[in-house]
Amino acid sequence: MRRISPALIATVVLLYLPLIVLVVFSFNRSPLMAFPLNGFTLRWYESLAGNKAFIDGFITSFLIAQPVGLLGALFGLAAALALTAPGLRWRFLFVVLLLVPFLIPKSVLSIAQVMVMSRIGFERGATALILAQSLVVIPFATAIIAAVVVRLDPGIEEAARDLGATPWQSFRRVVLPQLKSALAAAYSVGVILSLADLAISMFLAGRTQPLSLIVASQFRRELSPDLNAMQVVVLVLTALLVAANELFLRHWASARRRKTLSIPANQLVEAAP
Amino acid sequence: MRFHFDRSQLAWPVALFLGLGAVLPILMLLLFSVLTVEDFELVPAFTFASWREVAYSATYAVLIAKAVGSGLVTALATALAGYPVALALARLPKAWKGVALVVLLTPLYTGEIVRIYAWRVVLGSEGLVNAVLQGLHLIDAPLKFLLFSPFSTLLVLFYDTLPFMVLAIWVSAEFVDRAHVEAARDLGARPWEAFLRVILPLTAPGLAAGTFAVFALAAGDMLTPSLLGGTSGATAMGMIDSLFGTAFDWPTASALALALLVVLTACAVVLAGLVLRLGGRHALIARAAP
Repeated sequence: MRRISPALIATVVLLYLPLIVLVVFSFNRSPLMAFPLNGFTLRWYESLAGNKAFIDGFITSFLIAQPVGLLGALFGLAAALALTAPGLRWRFLFVVLLLVPFLIPKSVLSIAQVMVMSRIGFERGATALILAQSLVVIPFATAIIAAVVVRLDPGIEEAARDLGATPWQSFRRVVLPQLKSALAAAYSVGVILSLADLAISMFLAGRTQPLSLIVASQFRRELSPDLNAMQVVVLVLTALLVAANELFLRHWASARRRKTLSIPANQLVEAAP
Repeated sequence: MRFHFDRSQLAWPVALFLGLGAVLPILMLLLFSVLTVEDFELVPAFTFASWREVAYSATYAVLIAKAVGSGLVTALATALAGYPVALALARLPKAWKGVALVVLLTPLYTGEIVRIYAWRVVLGSEGLVNAVLQGLHLIDAPLKFLLFSPFSTLLVLFYDTLPFMVLAIWVSAEFVDRAHVEAARDLGARPWEAFLRVILPLTAPGLAAGTFAVFALAAGDMLTPSLLGGTSGATAMGMIDSLFGTAFDWPTASALALALLVVLTACAVVLAGLVLRLGGRHALIARAAP
């Protein structure tokens, strides 16, 4: 077995240490977050299950994350395709523009957005939150999709066009299938960034309460294990959501393939316009 | 008339969205910074008063300097710690790389507040570190400086940004041909010489990108210092937030925000540029985008 670098081990330990401590304390019987530990209990989780605000927050976060992932992937796809098209002038400027949401601190951007929104009468809330989070996702989505688009073989598309496909057909049947995994990845990144975000939610969420805001509002209270349990559940739920997204997207990708292959060849030819 | 559709035109909707969502608000900050506030209403009386206030105030200057300082320290720390990790990751067998990526990025999924909270538990007077140290009888009383101090702020900033630096260097390191390093060693270079003269120049673009990102993230962070820094946790961002919300002093808030933005961007660009110069000319050309 190869020797694993000590730097790697130290890093993994550092990265996961606080999370493991959280998990440990969430099962601890004592209401104090102190060592030594004394006894295993699930009561903090039980009280959490009855906490309606928490459950609502979770559902809210989930519902907000989906459009963010979608919009981010869509805009990322458009940007990636535009970047690799030969006809793009102002390419450098476009790249800089794509990086702007990443470079400006999220709080500065959010404050500025709130100022603009209040002047034009646009309400804070779920819509504003979704749009603002999508904005921040775009640089990531573009980078992920562009990395794959750059490696596509243009010859296949040319062949399709030569065989008579319209630009839209060649896009839908040649380019898009090759981008499925990149699109799925971009969507997942969007969902993750939306779930994890607090800075943007703080300014733009208005009355909607995503999970991160609920947790943050509890932070100023004294530390207590039900807060702990909440953190662990957030952790696990986020991981589950990410995994669910991955599985669903994989299933969707392979289901499309199975459907196409199961259509008899002559039906396929007749269906093509 | 046939409308010729070129994929490059897809750039327009994206540019529009980004322009309206990101560029416009920043430009509005510029506008707001020269207005006046009377009776909680913005009045179009143009003045540079807020800019004068920002320029001549020692408090704001200190806060901005603090942000730059945080960014620099964090960038340096993550660069030093990140290199060994990134190089080790690049040497991993291919099958492990996917797993390694997931392991590296998972702590980022947890969200800022969870990470801050977790570190509060670890660093507290009755937390993990103190409990272990006391259990080993290395100290008698809990170490107070661990939490609500500059130490905790910088530590957690380091923790939050390390994956980004490691990722950036790792991507660059993947392209380094091991043969170059072996050749250097064969020619008599010691390990640190091989690093300085072969690996560092070739991974300079990754290091520059990582430095840029880490600096931007660490300098602009508001939550970590405010929740974990205790009395040392005042930040320029926090000041902007209270000027904007509580004091309704939008002109000053805008001026300060813009000043912070300009200073941070300039520093980040200069820093990244300096790091890039560590690389040879060939390293830059090889990375040029098509």
